[in-house]
Amino acid sequence: MLRLKNGRVYDPAHGLDGQIRDLYVEDGRIVAAPGPDARVDDEIDFAGRVVMAGAIDLHTHIGGGKMNIARALLPEDHRADPVPAMGGMHAGCGHAAPSTWTTGYRYAEMGYTACFEPAMLPSNARHAHLEMGDIPMVDKGAYAMLGSDDFFLRLLSSGADQRLINDYVGWTMDASQAMAIKVVNPGGISAFKFNARNLDLDEAHPYYRVTPRQVIRALACAVHDLGVAHPLHVHASNLGIPGNADTTLATMAAAEGLPIHLTHIQFHSYGTEGERKFSSEAERIADAINRMTNVSADVGQILFGQTVTASGDNMAQHRNHRLASPDKWVVMDIECDAGCGVVPFKYRDKNFVNALQWAIGLELFLRVTDPWRIFLTTDHPNGAPFTSYPHLIRLLMDRSFRNSKLDEINPEAAAHSQLRGMEREYSLYDIAIMTRAGPARSLGLADRGHLGEGAAADIVVYRDDPDREAMFAKPEYVFKDGELIVRDGRVVKVVNGALHAVKPEYDKGIEKPLKDYFDRYMTVKMEHIRVSDEEVCTCGASKLIPHKCKGRSS
Amino acid sequence: MIAGLPASLDEAYRSAAAILAASRRPLVGGLACDVTGHRAALALAEKTGGVVDHMNGIVQFRNWLAFQDGGWMNTTLSEVRNRADLIVLAGTVASRFPRFFERCLAPESQFGELSRRVIVLGGDISSIPSIRGQSVVAIPVQENHLGELFAVLRARMDGHPQDAATVSGMSIEQVDALLADLLTARYGVLVWNAAELDFPNADLTIQAMVNLIKGLNRTTRWSGLPLGGNDGDTSAAQVCTWQTGYPLRTAFEASGPRYEPQLFGAERLLGKREVDALVWISAFDPERTPPKANCPTVVLGRADMTFTQAPDVFIPVAVPGVQHTGFLHRMDAVVALPLQAPAPSGMPSVAQAIAAIQEVMNHAAA
Repeated sequence: MLRLKNGRVYDPAHGLDGQIRDLYVEDGRIVAAPGPDARVDDEIDFAGRVVMAGAIDLHTHIGGGKMNIARALLPEDHRADPVPAMGGMHAGCGHAAPSTWTTGYRYAEMGYTACFEPAMLPSNARHAHLEMGDIPMVDKGAYAMLGSDDFFLRLLSSGADQRLINDYVGWTMDASQAMAIKVVNPGGISAFKFNARNLDLDEAHPYYRVTPRQVIRALACAVHDLGVAHPLHVHASNLGIPGNADTTLATMAAAEGLPIHLTHIQFHSYGTEGERKFSSEAERIADAINRMTNVSADVGQILFGQTVTASGDNMAQHRNHRLASPDKWVVMDIECDAGCGVVPFKYRDKNFVNALQWAIGLELFLRVTDPWRIFLTTDHPNGAPFTSYPHLIRLLMDRSFRNSKLDEINPEAAAHSQLRGMEREYSLYDIAIMTRAGPARSLGLADRGHLGEGAAADIVVYRDDPDREAMFAKPEYVFKDGELIVRDGRVVKVVNGALHAVKPEYDKGIEKPLKDYFDRYMTVKMEHIRVSDEEVCTCGASKLIPHKCKGRSS
Repeated sequence: MIAGLPASLDEAYRSAAAILAASRRPLVGGLACDVTGHRAALALAEKTGGVVDHMNGIVQFRNWLAFQDGGWMNTTLSEVRNRADLIVLAGTVASRFPRFFERCLAPESQFGELSRRVIVLGGDISSIPSIRGQSVVAIPVQENHLGELFAVLRARMDGHPQDAATVSGMSIEQVDALLADLLTARYGVLVWNAAELDFPNADLTIQAMVNLIKGLNRTTRWSGLPLGGNDGDTSAAQVCTWQTGYPLRTAFEASGPRYEPQLFGAERLLGKREVDALVWISAFDPERTPPKANCPTVVLGRADMTFTQAPDVFIPVAVPGVQHTGFLHRMDAVVALPLQAPAPSGMPSVAQAIAAIQEVMNHAAA
């Protein structure tokens, strides 16, 4: 048994806000304080240290076809950050589109112990699991993308019973070993294949005649009925378009009270005010989130510098290709399933639009009052590489630092933003919610994201450095399932991570029409789409952690 | 076998380990195996400071060089099957992909029966099967003149005047008529096969195709479809990309992976003697024997492989998808298929053989 004593524990799931507590670890789990006679094999004194559960990133593009496209596209970016093999760690590359190995090491070195890839195409699921299998250190999971796949759109446009849609959604999660369902530009990826360049929330799809609102409603309902913990994960229509805040608000309403998660909401909080017809609508969006308790969001903060945007939204990415820096980009239509677009991007602090995007993201963080419903993301790598999280945390926790950065950005954008007047500073407790307890609750991870009895011993220990960027960049200790894996911000032990996947109940009768569809129209068999439980480990995960779902009758 | 003489597997592993231990920079080449084999091959290259390239590297890099310079707009097989109403075959008739027409260009699609037009630029169209509702026209163009044709098509689309009376053997009127055709497609697909674009700087021809496709997408939908995917080349590039950031032609150096697409081709490395050992992995096709090499050579090959000159070490390996299970990507790199093992064998897989060699090396080092 290991005793971790005297630490200041931030464990929001149990209301602990820096109280001094001893933690006991045995067999990879946190256990109750033993009696005085118990044998303690090892003990570490964390007096003065900040102790939190392992951090969880619920939206980070770490693995899957589009990330490999991004990697292959950017040798010049990798060259600036080569990573040699050392100490049992593999060689690779870092920065905007890091190699799988480096992704795992660097996440762990920042105190993250679980990462969720939010855009796995079912047709690409086996590849995604192979990639994620080579991401060490952290546990992983992926959200299956639906909503522009032709099978679903056929069901919806033919007026199929919601129960049939539920079965298809259940089958998809089961077959692709997914943790949740994501919809990207609902129906829009498909519409782009029919040469539509835009698809508004209430605009009929050019072929199927259904609207994105109907797509959202049907999928949100399916996710809810199947009893999947994480709400429908929505990348809304009109990403990046000035004035899209109206669409975003209408998208929230489209869930009709069902749980809904809006992702990278910064890219969806734009107005058309001002001379440049581009303005912040963070206040209206944040007010809506504050009001609607069925809504959660992650921010997708942008930070300045070179990165690459990789998205399933081929429609939006094609629209944005003129902004590619360096000037090269990829757009793909994929398997009557979805699509993707990869556009390298350099956010510049002196650029009005980029600077305002930066401010809008921060405004959203600061205006949403409930940290349980807003999550810290940069939509890695779309807003910035995940390695910039410590910097982002400092921006949230340190107003004077934030305002000093505000002085550096495009002055017109700074003047347009209300950021300077915002006094809120996130507390360590808030940070522990939005990076640990909140994501765990949202994903239904009962034994992660907290430090209570029975939790997995994913534990992170920080020095209480007033420079929060330095503090969160280099935890002093990181334990994964009870093992010390990082010391002073460096990996000391390489471990493999497990795969989280939900196992909803559904009627397997859906395989009959589905198989017929694949046989008639696809160039791959339905059976080959399915990734078996055994394959999860052959692909590289240490084990499969299945999450049962208790269905709700619709 | 060791130097052409029978040997036990353990002896072969020891000999291979000795060759690699003495090597400062081995080429881990061939790479014709499945994902599990590619993972092992990359681990071996990393351990030995080696460099990796696939036996189809020359072909692959015609695509990769174009891709890394400008990106592309591409599609996958099921999209072609269901949407393509105009297919341009550039410098290929897909004869090396006999099922392309029946699988991807069958008349039935989920959006109704498609009347497809096929335009072949160059090539003999006699091998193209007759398919209901499909019309085929051929325009004779030599492969090495495709680049200028695509460049001029793009220039005409952009409204640039053209002084030359003919382009790639076509009159400018014909070029304009072709462009008009391309613009009428609802979902056009431009198909090429890098293996058949066998002339210097073919990457620039592919880039000209990509540029045309991008331009056509201003008003309608077009995508590229690069044919390929042989000998595990797609998987090799995918695995190397996710593990190192680079699609092969990468050396594992003290400072990290180093990518040199122009310098790290197997033929050049062997010819210039920039590598001092060769590990040749060829588990699919017994005809794909190692290239001539003036350095010690270890072959992990199919059991029925024969050699004009016996390699220093030959380790017969099981065939992925026949004798052992695994994973292999389809040509579009999207779909990774599970491989079955209908005829399991006692021979090691590539991954197992490499693991055994590495184990000997680890013991020797300890």
